[in-house]
Amino acid sequence: MTDHKGQAGKPALKAESRVYMEDTILRMQGIHKWFTGINALHNVDFELKKGEVRALIGENGAGKSTLMKILLGIHQVDAGEIEFMGKKVRFREPKDALDAGISMIHQEISLIPTMDVAENVWIGRENKFSKGPFINVKARYQATKDLFEQLGIHVDPGKQVSVLSVAMMQLVELARAVSYNSRLIIMDEPTSALTNEEVELLYSIVRKLTKQGVTVVFISHKIEEIFTICDSVTVLRDGQHVRTCLLNEQIKMEELIQMLVGRDVSHSFVKQETKIGDVVFEAKNFSRKGVFQDVSFQVHAGEIVGFSGLMGAGRSEIARAIFGIDRPDSGQLFMHGKEIRNTEPRKAIRNGLGMVTEDRLRMGAIYTMSVKHNTTIADLFRMTKAGFVKRGEENAEFRRMSEKLSIKYARESDLIKSLSGGNQQKAILGRWMLTKPSFLILDEPTRGIDIGAKMEIYQLMNQLAAQGVAILFISSEMPEILSLCDRTFVVREGRLVHETDRAHTTQEILAEYAFGVSRAKE
Amino acid sequence: MKREEKSAVIQNLLMGNKALLIVIALGVILSIASPAFLTSSNLLNVVRQVCVSTLLSIGFTIVLSSGNMDLSIGTLMGLCGMILAKLVKEAGVPLPAAILIVFGVAVFGGLLNAAILSLFSVPAFIVTLATQSIFKGVNYLISDLVPVSGLPSELLFLGQGYLFGIPVPIYIMLLVVLAAWVMMNRTKFGRYILAVGGNAEAARASGINTKRINFGVYICCGLCAGVASIIMTGRVGSAQVGAGVGMEMDAIAAVVIGGTSMSGGKANVWGTLFGCLLVGIVNNGMNLLGINPNWQVIAKGFLILFAVIIDVVSARAQAKRLNRIAQMQNS
Repeated sequence: MTDHKGQAGKPALKAESRVYMEDTILRMQGIHKWFTGINALHNVDFELKKGEVRALIGENGAGKSTLMKILLGIHQVDAGEIEFMGKKVRFREPKDALDAGISMIHQEISLIPTMDVAENVWIGRENKFSKGPFINVKARYQATKDLFEQLGIHVDPGKQVSVLSVAMMQLVELARAVSYNSRLIIMDEPTSALTNEEVELLYSIVRKLTKQGVTVVFISHKIEEIFTICDSVTVLRDGQHVRTCLLNEQIKMEELIQMLVGRDVSHSFVKQETKIGDVVFEAKNFSRKGVFQDVSFQVHAGEIVGFSGLMGAGRSEIARAIFGIDRPDSGQLFMHGKEIRNTEPRKAIRNGLGMVTEDRLRMGAIYTMSVKHNTTIADLFRMTKAGFVKRGEENAEFRRMSEKLSIKYARESDLIKSLSGGNQQKAILGRWMLTKPSFLILDEPTRGIDIGAKMEIYQLMNQLAAQGVAILFISSEMPEILSLCDRTFVVREGRLVHETDRAHTTQEILAEYAFGVSRAKE
Repeated sequence: MKREEKSAVIQNLLMGNKALLIVIALGVILSIASPAFLTSSNLLNVVRQVCVSTLLSIGFTIVLSSGNMDLSIGTLMGLCGMILAKLVKEAGVPLPAAILIVFGVAVFGGLLNAAILSLFSVPAFIVTLATQSIFKGVNYLISDLVPVSGLPSELLFLGQGYLFGIPVPIYIMLLVVLAAWVMMNRTKFGRYILAVGGNAEAARASGINTKRINFGVYICCGLCAGVASIIMTGRVGSAQVGAGVGMEMDAIAAVVIGGTSMSGGKANVWGTLFGCLLVGIVNNGMNLLGINPNWQVIAKGFLILFAVIIDVVSARAQAKRLNRIAQMQNS
């Protein structure tokens, strides 16, 4: 299985295997991956030809990263086979993949900022330039310089990485990948931080590499850009392979978007009709410099308003500022027509807001605490007498919530981290139901939880809306938005770019506005 | 499942109070090794000797459980003791008033730490390292490096006296331990401290005023140093210039041995008491067995290592168990 190991560090062998190689460089077949009960990848096939540039696209959570992480050995495959350069492989860690000729450039920069460029490029391979314990710094510098010249990168190898722009750092990472003689380079949204000129530079480097027979995979969210640089595209959706095809004139952007979102929208769950009441919450010209601008919207009693769009579009940032976690720069907020100022979450809570935050691990659950204490923490100030917790009341309130939400746990004193993701999320939801907010923000409340728990959370949202709670529902999953929201805003680059009501919301519209594809016929 | 759960309960119980187990085990060994150990006068002596360090350790436990650190607690105690002695000896302030002033100083010391922390968000480790030196320096300044002795008998009573055959410091110490336990386990403030220590961002998003909690925590810690300074001064019968220097390290040791996590979110108040007792018993036992006292320092080092290693090993065992349960649920 791990026959690539004997090959590590022996370029002669590699050259030999190139003779054997046909056109196909990578073949992943029948890939399955489960994450604690969730089928993250289901029977995915993925094949790459030598020298092609392949786009890998899909919505958040479609399985793009998981597939690539399996290839690199960051995750282990549960079923399926991987063949690279004609040999069966199964890498245990990225180092093995790197040695075999696969490297990945992640979205997050993985350079060491306090070291210089040359040191970063050759890190871990210092013995190439060393005699005994001493490193020949000059030789390393020259090797880096040669490498950069060959690629057309204009960076002084002696510069400290921390002074480089993000774009330059990405190019340095790319150069490092090339220096490993990688035959397959995976780039995770490489252009997201680049200016147009830098993107051009990147493209020219990519073209140079493909001429040398290097294969490149582009994970991207920008539909337009993949048409410029990629030869072919693979679309993943919900962990399944949808289609792989060449990118030529015959395929249109709209088609790709339909593949992305899928046509069979399961309306298995629909929001019940509720009486839409008066305006509960309103934001006017709400802005935070460089994050979101000019956000204005209203939410009525009994209404579920959706924020759709891609991760990083600014949806969570708007919600965080509304709830007082971050500071806005300008704009006004109103509850029931009265202006409020949420300078801290505790003020927002007293103003009748509640928020299930996006990142449960970092912002939601307190892992050192029990499920009970996690559920009651936001409402604890109401359950005290002279500073002492009224334990009878706390127990009663917790039990009421855990029954209502059917939270499953062995003992109330169990740490919340011992619960399943769905039950953790239900406990966090319970935390906010206890405070009885009139405006509740739910930021990706169903991410990473199983379908059963999802359904229960939808049910609860329905109940809350029926009780007259105004709900702001942020989600990357379009089916959720379609089936639950009375009105939906699409957020892109920090702005509310589109508003639709239930009757007019389709996945295609949401995707078009989210991806920024201009609708020519309008 | 049932058996897994049962063994988990037992394991948690044992691990939560491992310091107590070691105290008992060591007590049994020492009673066999030395007939002088298991006498009421010797045992009371052991407890009396750890009173001051227990008080500091309780303060430290509270700070640690909030995810913070206080290295200034020892020298703050020394400073408080010097001020107390100066007030009653040289300024002629009546003892109750002097004690109130000392509490004021202790609270101020805590406030100072918290204020710097919240204003500049510097690591607590560095801030309290700085104030540690400041408190020590102020002590040197006002004492001019001369100890103050000849203190009034009421003060000596608080450090050396007996009530119903039991040393007075033990009452005070137990009172503080009990109060700390109640605070951490029964009050809103205590719950908030644990929430902030467990996940400060989540605590803030749940409506907790994390800055105010930090202030409260350091005030509590300062007060513990204040109470400790009174007992310390009374017991020694004088205010020493170097009093309290290095005692924060003893406090860290005791708290760790007692099982409070260094990373916050947990407070094992009783564990801290047992941790202090353990250090006291080891010292006492070595004295009784006539071992060179320098070995006591080494023994304390081993105790810390031992306690930490047990922690790591038990955490690993627990992770394994959780994994096994998860796998069983999956299949």
